[in-house]
Amino acid sequence: MKGPEPRYSAWALLRARLAGTGYWRPLWSGRRLREAYDVVVVGAGGHGLATAYHLARDHHIRRMAVLEKRLVGYGNVGRNTTIVRSNYLLPENHYFYEDSLRRWERLSHDLNYNVMYSPRGIVDLALSDGEMVGLARRGNAMRLAAIDAQLLDRRGVLKFAPELAASGPRRFDIVGGLLQRRGGTVRHDAVAWAYARAATALGVDIIEDCEVTGVRAEGGIATGVETRRGYVKADRIVFAVAGHTGAIGEMLGVHLPIETHLLQAMVTEPVKPLVSSVFVYVYPHGECYVTQSDRGGVLMGGFMDGFPSYTQEGQWFRLEDVVQSAVALLPQLASLRILRHWAGVQDMTMDGSFIIDRIRYDNVFVNGGWCYGGFKTIPASGAACATLVATGTAPDLIRAHGLARFATGHLLDERGGGPFPVRL
Amino acid sequence: MTRLTCPFCGPRDLQEFEFRKTLPEPDSNAYAQVYERANRLEDSLEHWQHVHGCRAWLLIRRNPSTGQVLKLELMGGGGP
Repeated sequence: MKGPEPRYSAWALLRARLAGTGYWRPLWSGRRLREAYDVVVVGAGGHGLATAYHLARDHHIRRMAVLEKRLVGYGNVGRNTTIVRSNYLLPENHYFYEDSLRRWERLSHDLNYNVMYSPRGIVDLALSDGEMVGLARRGNAMRLAAIDAQLLDRRGVLKFAPELAASGPRRFDIVGGLLQRRGGTVRHDAVAWAYARAATALGVDIIEDCEVTGVRAEGGIATGVETRRGYVKADRIVFAVAGHTGAIGEMLGVHLPIETHLLQAMVTEPVKPLVSSVFVYVYPHGECYVTQSDRGGVLMGGFMDGFPSYTQEGQWFRLEDVVQSAVALLPQLASLRILRHWAGVQDMTMDGSFIIDRIRYDNVFVNGGWCYGGFKTIPASGAACATLVATGTAPDLIRAHGLARFATGHLLDERGGGPFPVRL
Repeated sequence: MTRLTCPFCGPRDLQEFEFRKTLPEPDSNAYAQVYERANRLEDSLEHWQHVHGCRAWLLIRRNPSTGQVLKLELMGGGGP
């Protein structure tokens, strides 16, 4: 490998054109696994790569590897619905998600890679007065934290998103909505590629096809990880293994407050611009969100399947349920055909909020339990987790997100649902 | 995994059943019983209920990596 990829610019494009083939180089491949590292990050998805990038950039850790079971970006960073937003109720959550949204706004510049942040707005819809009260409460909480939130009445929603008015009379009419204009979408694969490229440029070894099978410890301190390619010594170990955090807990002999569930998403055939924004509707026994990708496919997702699974194969009844809800919101979608459908394996915590903390050993960290909100937090999670790993102290933004909260009763339960991820 | 076989009702659509939680470790404390879950990749022991059927509580051993049901019985034993 000849060194990192050149910086992307119009000038670089021109030079590449003149230089012919061989100017662009692989973004991250070709690194060899070494025997020992200061930090080993397990999982080359969004959170793992962002953590490695911030450890290298902000804390100047150079001897670092990211070990990946399969390929860069092969897990949930490539299986989500690309939505970014910070419209959360609880202060511990909305300050963190807002930090993330601010980072999304400048991420393309920071990483010199176009991640296609599209602030097309996100609208939580209300179909009843009771739901409006809930949205008003959440919007007020956000505005107290200086996060943009706008409560819209029916007319406001239809003015912002005229496509919602295109249908005839509805059984349950739209009463209003909560709009966050800076919310929107980001090109998910590009995020993994951008962080992988940026981390590689800072000297991080990204090793694909290198599954971690165990942790070796001595005298209460972890000394390294067992991998399919042999033993690797590590001073500190970070697990960022979305969907398999519970299984990592078992590997370390810890039952975590996590259940592992499937979330499905599906996309229709591409059509001309039809869905202008991101629409979310949460109802008593599920939820549905609809957006349109830049390629034109209408993307839909909803509630989880409802029982532990690692299969990445969604249940038909949930797919049906999501499509029915989407068609109820936007009857125009009824004539479209589903082109692709997939499921991702999610860590669902017992309060619906994430966990970044030490686990089992003083020098082993876990970044997981992202529930529905993993993708949108990648930049903030990387920065905060890196600070915890490098300094040993959790920054203010994630101080409330330790494992201890479940034992002390300081839960971060947005929906107030109690210790069951399935029940709404 | 699209169906479960209820001991009373026979094979029924999965939608009729509701997953409750994985079994806590025996002798675990109250915190563990409420919050902790076993997350075994290939062997999960779970409580389910046939909520939209006979409402029987079931004890199911499954492989969550394949969806295969390894064992299904009434909670507390017995049967029709």
